[in-house]
Amino acid sequence: MKVNTTRFGELEVEKKDIITFKEGLLGFEKLTKFFIVDPGDQTLILWFQSIDDAATAFPIIEPKIFLPDYSVRLLPAELASLDLEGLNDASIYTILTIPEVVTEMSANLKAPIIINNKTKLARQIVLQDSKLEVKHKMYVNLKKYISTFTSDDTARTKNKLSEATVVEPAEAQNIALDDNDNKAVKSPEA
Amino acid sequence: MLVLTRKLGESIAIDDHIKIVVVQIKGKQVRLGIKAPKETKIHREEVYQAIQDQNTEASQADMKSISDLSDELNKK
Repeated sequence: MKVNTTRFGELEVEKKDIITFKEGLLGFEKLTKFFIVDPGDQTLILWFQSIDDAATAFPIIEPKIFLPDYSVRLLPAELASLDLEGLNDASIYTILTIPEVVTEMSANLKAPIIINNKTKLARQIVLQDSKLEVKHKMYVNLKKYISTFTSDDTARTKNKLSEATVVEPAEAQNIALDDNDNKAVKSPEA
Repeated sequence: MLVLTRKLGESIAIDDHIKIVVVQIKGKQVRLGIKAPKETKIHREEVYQAIQDQNTEASQADMKSISDLSDELNKK
């Protein structure tokens, strides 16, 4: 199906890539259908685009990129609400806030979006851990990650916004994992 | 909304498994004790408000935010 979006124009979305919320994100309860847009830029930021409202999209990122030891612990009832038995079959993203002073950007670690990779059922879950911040500043760590791991990754930066493609969360995760693997043994092209 | 008056040490039962006790009253502050099953989520209302505000702020980002960020990230 074709979906009109304010930021990316018209995009083709396959049914299997549509992510469904039983209850929407906090404050956006009416919007229940989303998909992930990967603009392919070097920031590693993806977008959680609403299907119901062309203008609503949230910048998201995999928290492991800037905080490798971020761990999510869900209650059995929370796992059950997503038809999950564990987090192996799930994708985890944090929502980013990017203010005008971009170095002040922050990630919401307290309430990540959890997606069941098989059923594409999703929820923004408020975690019990009281140490997790709603506004976790992470610009420095993102910059560190990008300059360490992706500075020579021309394949990624070549992609222009006009070629915006829709990827499954699972694929998005693979990209990041591949990056890690490459760097661990040094990029073969480098 | 149901409104009940309780004294110090008194409690309210919700369903069969949730109990809320008035633990302390000090000036304008009331301390509550909550006994509930493990799977019950309990947060101060402000936490939800903060997340809601954060979601709203996050949704304001546009392509300019990303290109500004990208420029900044590229600086040596």
